Amino acid sequence: MKLLKEKVNPLNEINDKFLAKTLEATKILHDRISDLIEGKLDKEGLKGVILCEKECDKLKEEYIKILFKDKKALPFLVEDRYKIITMVDHMTGKNELLARFIRAFPFGIYDDIKEQLIEFNGLYHECIKDLIDCVILMETNFDEAFEKTFEIELDRRTAKKMKYRMFDKLYQKKDNMLQIYLTSKLIAYTYDVVDAAEGISDYLRGLIIKYPSK
Amino acid sequence: MSDITPIIIAFIVISIIIAFAIGANDETFAVTYGSKTLTMKQILILATIFAITGAVLLGEAVSKTVGKGVLSIDLTDGITITVLISTIIWLILSSALGLPISTTHATIGSILGIGLLIGGVGGIGWSKLIELSAWWILSPIIGYVITFITYKLLHKHVINKLNGFQQFERAEKVFALILLTVICWTAFSRSGNDVSNSVGIVVGATEGTIEIGVLLIFTGLSFAAGIVILARTLIKNVGTITELRPSTAFAAQVPTAIVLFLGTLFGIPLSGSHMLVASLIGLGKAQHAPKNKGNMRIVFIWFLTFPMAAICAIILYFPISALVLT
Repeated sequence: MKLLKEKVNPLNEINDKFLAKTLEATKILHDRISDLIEGKLDKEGLKGVILCEKECDKLKEEYIKILFKDKKALPFLVEDRYKIITMVDHMTGKNELLARFIRAFPFGIYDDIKEQLIEFNGLYHECIKDLIDCVILMETNFDEAFEKTFEIELDRRTAKKMKYRMFDKLYQKKDNMLQIYLTSKLIAYTYDVVDAAEGISDYLRGLIIKYPSK
Repeated sequence: MSDITPIIIAFIVISIIIAFAIGANDETFAVTYGSKTLTMKQILILATIFAITGAVLLGEAVSKTVGKGVLSIDLTDGITITVLISTIIWLILSSALGLPISTTHATIGSILGIGLLIGGVGGIGWSKLIELSAWWILSPIIGYVITFITYKLLHKHVINKLNGFQQFERAEKVFALILLTVICWTAFSRSGNDVSNSVGIVVGATEGTIEIGVLLIFTGLSFAAGIVILARTLIKNVGTITELRPSTAFAAQVPTAIVLFLGTLFGIPLSGSHMLVASLIGLGKAQHAPKNKGNMRIVFIWFLTFPMAAICAIILYFPISALVLT
């Protein structure tokens, strides 16, 4: 029996919930994009992403309140933690934009880019999962978090190459301008989320270097 | 009451003002500001509490004669008042500019000015002056070196082994606690020491015939007022010499406090202000931090303190002596 219970830090508790919601939004969106590619999208399913984003906003506000008013973190960590949560929230906002876009304009995907898009979608999901892992690791293990940042960088690089390959194929088509435009927007918005994730991982890498364990 | 002469009243007023001037140049809490361990408001509250309690509880027990042996001429009331007033002027001026100086340095500068004016070159106890000067040069060097070494050791054996925000936070909280304890103790003893120095003037003038209890409270309050009114800029300037966290502030402050304590124990006149500033510069160097241009202003005023306090004393000596005689 533990005589001394470890104190639960409300900051960590909210952060965990926030990250879980971000991951949930990403999972829902990933699944709905897969549905869209397969041509069986249920628009209502995208509501989950929007709800998660709203929940994330609330959690972020609560987190910031504790961070600044209740002073549950040391001052030198406040700005770093604040920056991390706002950056992740910004990325979740991009997720919501993508969800709203698909919800407003569901469209068919060209068969010849379906395979690449499935891969691209998987990469998107993987990248965000890596990022969430990295943010969690920042609390307990700088070394592993540092390694994760390189995985995220690699994900983004691969996503970039895939984006241009799909654009190459897409812009050679001339049959349906709206479909071309919407498909390119889908790719661009998805890539934006991956790009935002890499931006956050770069910032985290900087922090790991700043905190002298590297 | 009939024993209270105008000259004693003058000494009482001066002792209260000098306590204010010393408080105004008190940078004890600077690293807690720089490391964001405390806010300015918290610093001012704590500094006030320790200034008053230190003065009242320790003031009576401590006594010290500043400048003993530096002058080869007899001390008169006129000389003492001139030295004190020129020290006050230089202390308040440097505090208003937000620059920390050594109080002893300013006092000796004033004494030197008087000595030269009255007794010429023979009016100065040169051997004592050279001995003191050696320690003024050594103080910042010692501060710089010990902080540099402490930081490197702390970095290698403690900080570098921390992994993740949570471990970091726990360690920094421990450092903050130790730092705060050491600084509160320093503030307490420093107030007791500085206030007793200023009250010691009155004790000297009255040859111990007056009750100093009430005076200790007033000088304590004046010391606290000096911190609250004038020391803010100075605390900010010293606290931001280099980027600080509780652990790095610990590396600068704690070894310095220990060396100062040992210095006091063995009668070595180290300057706390010089040591702390040099420690912070040493810390910046150890952390490979960019150079702070403000540091040059501090070093410049250190060099200026000696001649300026002397000039001030030379200018003030005759008018004050005339006043004392009347």
